[in-house]
Amino acid sequence: MAKKMLMEILKHEKVSSNVFRLTLGGKLTAQPGQFVQVAVSKTYDPFLKRPFSVHDCSADTLTLLYRVLGRGTGLLAGKRTGEQLEVVGPLGTAFPVETADRIILVAGGIGSAPLFYLLKSLRAAGKKVTFLYGARSKEELILREQYQMLADEYGEATEDGSCGHHGLVTELVADALDKGRTVLYACGPEAMLRAVAELAKANNCSCYVSLEAHMACGVGACLGCVVANAQGEYVRVCVDGPVFPAREVF
Amino acid sequence: MADLTVSLGRLQLKNPVMPASGCFGYGEEYASFYDLSVLGAIVVKGTTVNPWPGNAPQRIVETPAGMLNAIGLQNPGVPAAKIKIRRLARYNSPVIVNVSGHSVEEYKEVISVLEEESTVAAYEINVSCPNVKAGGMAFGTKPEIVFKLVTALRPLTEKTLIVKLSPNVTDITEIATAAESAGADALSLINTLVGMAIDIEKRRPVLANITGGLSGPAVKPVALRMVWQVTDVVNIPVIGMGGISSAEDAIEFMLAGATAVAIGAANFVNPTVCPEVVAGIEAYLHKYNFSSVREIVGLAKRADNT
Ligand SMILES: Cc1cc2nc3c(=O)[nH]c(=O)nc-3n(C[C@H](O)[C@H](O)[C@H](O)COP(=O)(O)OP(=O)(O)OC[C@H]3O[C@@H](n4cnc5c(N)ncnc54)[C@H](O)[C@@H]3O)c2cc1C
Ligand SMILES: Cc1cc2nc3c(=O)[nH]c(=O)nc-3n(C[C@H](O)[C@H](O)[C@H](O)COP(=O)(O)O)c2cc1C
Ligand code: FES
Repeated sequence: MAKKMLMEILKHEKVSSNVFRLTLGGKLTAQPGQFVQVAVSKTYDPFLKRPFSVHDCSADTLTLLYRVLGRGTGLLAGKRTGEQLEVVGPLGTAFPVETADRIILVAGGIGSAPLFYLLKSLRAAGKKVTFLYGARSKEELILREQYQMLADEYGEATEDGSCGHHGLVTELVADALDKGRTVLYACGPEAMLRAVAELAKANNCSCYVSLEAHMACGVGACLGCVVANAQGEYVRVCVDGPVFPAREVF
Repeated sequence: MADLTVSLGRLQLKNPVMPASGCFGYGEEYASFYDLSVLGAIVVKGTTVNPWPGNAPQRIVETPAGMLNAIGLQNPGVPAAKIKIRRLARYNSPVIVNVSGHSVEEYKEVISVLEEESTVAAYEINVSCPNVKAGGMAFGTKPEIVFKLVTALRPLTEKTLIVKLSPNVTDITEIATAAESAGADALSLINTLVGMAIDIEKRRPVLANITGGLSGPAVKPVALRMVWQVTDVVNIPVIGMGGISSAEDAIEFMLAGATAVAIGAANFVNPTVCPEVVAGIEAYLHKYNFSSVREIVGLAKRADNT
């Protein structure tokens, strides 16, 4: 159940030129795929909290991985160890655990954030996992070693060819799929998610995608974060998602 | 302990604090944060006869000390809403249903469907939604039309009838007077202020609807001024809203003349803002030795206020 709490910054590390890993202390337990809303300021400007996926979680720590994009994440990057942040969570749906012969996680850039926690949980449950990681360049394959170490099979793709397969990560997905016997979990840019969903559909595999939307409340009250589902009805990314079965939204 | 009760028509509230419509869903969304029974009332989302799909995304954008929204009154229609509203019976707070429609007939029908519902204590007639093409604000910018609508609705119910006013008018006091003379028991103000934002990279409006309604702390001075003006000319109670984020803000509205207050966008930022405001008002009354919250209503207008 979602609650509001103050969490202390235990660790705040720069992991690439514009990505930070933020470890917060406090008891907020989330499932892989869920997110939290973080106050980046104590004033009214910026006004809204910022949504971030849970990158990792233990009984008394919560880790986020975020890219500095605009004003809010810029302010967040300036916070120091020992400061307190107001956090609301856990929010949204989790990645459902499905039994399948093959489990493939597909990450695009910073979309890798929620998939680390999923990968860890699946491995802890004794599942074999293939992790496929794509980005524009090697530098954007953020924390690539941690996925490489944990996954049973690991593949990477960069658009500029600076690391792994020269091309799109979806090309690796096509090779790794076992028709009808695979479950796919994906988070990344929308074009990547659509391509993964299409591959899943063509090969009769289940597929879950994690979506993003501009949010205000994060709890389903404002109807600000909707996307059109396959029937053309508007569903809320914050409570009906962010994790959706791909066929529901594409 | 000071007396926090206030009345809106025949409706008694245990305290003057409620969430603003559209900012609290159908209530349950905030039930994991606190017991909704602490609220003076629960105000639910704008409800129409048939389901409304709402506007295409992007629907919201953050602005300095506030936000624009263009939800477009997405709601499941009154038959489905009724079931959600019934679930609120378990809380010890009266439910106020925000009502909208494309025509006088549609407003009437929403009321007739809800009239037998014991959970529904009052209607808030929304004549001020800036985000729908037909209905909504089209009803709220002309005093004659407000008068006609309220006159048509008044005989349908003995429940408290509240009219929610738009700030997007030249003179809000004219509309307020029209609603009062047609038999409204109370007024709510303000709804959102029409605004917009442009994405300079994409070189087009951020919101798919182009314009949206501005709310949050940025609108507070405008809302406060309108509450002051309206309470000068009407004798029915006013629910003040627009940018309230703290007990201090709520007290300002009450000192300006509001009998009760509603909190909108601040719920998004601080899910426990409503109970915090109730506690803050109580502390203020205690600090300055007021025995009832009603004593501070309009106090800032009184020449003898020392
Ligand atoms: C469910 C969910 C999970 C997310 N998880 C992560 C994560 O793990 N790591 C990460 O780096 N980013 C994540 N994001 C994106 C992150 O929320 C935005 O990058 C961030 O809000 C940008 O804030 P800003 O003030 O720096 O940017 P600005 O562009 O200045 O923000 C202006 C407004 O737009 C909103 N906004 C801007 N970009 C986005 C976006 N892509 N998605 C949603 N709202 C946006 C902001 O919240 C703010 O309200 C997630 C988004 C969602 C919806
Ligand atoms: C996301 C959102 C949805 C809203 N939906 C409604 C609605 O359905 N009916 C209505 O009368 N007002 C609606 N409003 C207006 C609010 O009830 C309130 O009048 C306004 O936001 C000003 O208060 P605030 O500054 O505290 O948010 C909505 C406001 C927001 C931000
Ligand atoms: S962010 Fe408010 S409903 Fe999703």
